[in-house]
Amino acid sequence: MLELRQLSRNFGGVKALDQLDLSVRKGEILGLIGPNGSGKSTTVNLIAGLYKPSSGTLAFNGVDLAQRATHERAVLGIARTFQNIRLFANLSVWQNVWAARVVRDAGWTGLCKRWLSSGRAARDEVQELLVFSGLAGKADVLAGNLAFGEQRRLELARAAASGAELLLLDEPAAGMNAEEIDELDERIRALRNQGRTILLIEHHMELVMAVCDRVAVLNFGRKIAEGTPAQVQNDAAVRVAYLGSEDTATA
Amino acid sequence: MDFYFGLAQVIGVHTLLGLSAWCVLHTGQISLAQGGFFAIGAYASGMLTTMADWPLGVALPAAALISAAVAVAVGFPALRVKGLMLVVATTAFAEIVRLVFFNLKWRVNTPAGLVGPDGGLGFGGIRYFPSNGWSSVEILALVWGLVALVMLVLAWLDRSRIGTLWRAVGEDEVAAQSVGINLTAAKVSAFGIGGAIAGLSGSLFAHYATHIEHNNFTILLATFAIAYPILGGLSSLWGTVLAVIFIQGFLIEGLRFLGDWRSLLFGALILLVMLLRPNGIISSPMGQWFGRWFGRSGGPAAPTPKGKAHA
Repeated sequence: MLELRQLSRNFGGVKALDQLDLSVRKGEILGLIGPNGSGKSTTVNLIAGLYKPSSGTLAFNGVDLAQRATHERAVLGIARTFQNIRLFANLSVWQNVWAARVVRDAGWTGLCKRWLSSGRAARDEVQELLVFSGLAGKADVLAGNLAFGEQRRLELARAAASGAELLLLDEPAAGMNAEEIDELDERIRALRNQGRTILLIEHHMELVMAVCDRVAVLNFGRKIAEGTPAQVQNDAAVRVAYLGSEDTATA
Repeated sequence: MDFYFGLAQVIGVHTLLGLSAWCVLHTGQISLAQGGFFAIGAYASGMLTTMADWPLGVALPAAALISAAVAVAVGFPALRVKGLMLVVATTAFAEIVRLVFFNLKWRVNTPAGLVGPDGGLGFGGIRYFPSNGWSSVEILALVWGLVALVMLVLAWLDRSRIGTLWRAVGEDEVAAQSVGINLTAAKVSAFGIGGAIAGLSGSLFAHYATHIEHNNFTILLATFAIAYPILGGLSSLWGTVLAVIFIQGFLIEGLRFLGDWRSLLFGALILLVMLLRPNGIISSPMGQWFGRWFGRSGGPAAPTPKGKAHA
């Protein structure tokens, strides 16, 4: 569904991403891991359209993304969360999700739809997502006043609300406790069971190994391994480059 | 008594001007072009009622539409830049508008004599109200009727989809793009609607003043326009109204004996508010208090899941 071919991005002389080939298959949970500065967030920003590639191509469901603006990619079905949460802080929880939901009904056809009943459908969908995220009781709270874990959940709900087929989750477990990570695990699986595809960028190995169907490993902007969690864990290059010592490989 | 009628008209017109800046400020943009749209509305409607002999009821919306069209045309290129560069770009636009009207000489013969803009001498004889026998009370009712109408429309808009998307853009452009919001569309629509309101405001000004000239539309006017929503805060429309009443009623008129020192106070006031209350004087919880008394006109948590947000 998403094809990255020979994708590179340079910042000055630094090759943040170097000729990355990566395919995300429909319906899978693909983990993208690697040490800090290995190019994971750069990859997300290239897919979402915040950066332009220095070279290489990206295609989503056969559509070349090169000429598509960020908001057009969202409409095509690519949504994301941010490593350092970016909510609409002075909008209510409900409005945050609703804003992402209603842009799907843009244009004249959307206008007609809204007048002919789907306004209610949109509200129901927002409500459903709030229940899903455990935020239904906080619909009227300003997003900026939520606790950290709740903000992460809201960001996930907002991304899901935009109707994304492909969710790019940029370190969704960062700063969470064990219990919250378990909940996140369940939510990620639930989103996949709804038919969505997920690209999970994460440092928390337990989560990655538990939830992902496949894992790709980056180091210094290059892909050094790709395979099932078990294959990647036993990959010698990965152990040396990323996991550091053999002891932590099973952690 | 006439003094108070006059003041109430000024406050009404400036409220509209402040509301036009409020729209643009919602998307996080600081525009100093509102005075320019105000001038375009003033000249356009003045020319329509005098030179073309249109009735005011047609000239007002026509002038608002012309201002909106100019705003959209200017908005596409101008809104590509943001922050300080947008301030510079919109200031330049407002000055261009002022200088165009400074140089515009186009007078035609009508039954009432020679009328039209006369360059630096200004555009006099916009006598629609006197020649149709409008009393001060009627003019005042028209001004404040339009203020009420615009506030109703904006209160509805603020709770609707458009208002939420405007606010989302104003909160975080990167996040807004990432959920699929077209930044250009959001900003230009806010600019266009703001332009229409500023044009309407300018039309009213031209007709009660009966004489307008380029130096009615200096950068000071644009500064006022943006100061109202900044002082009043974005959480409620009433904030802007109260800011206008405070600045025009108290600071400008009430302290008239201070002469030009008032400008200093005005500047100091804006600085103080930005330092002490960056969300405006009337932000929550005060805004919520006003919201409760005046039918919740867009408190911070406006739409709730149950039936409120009529998208």
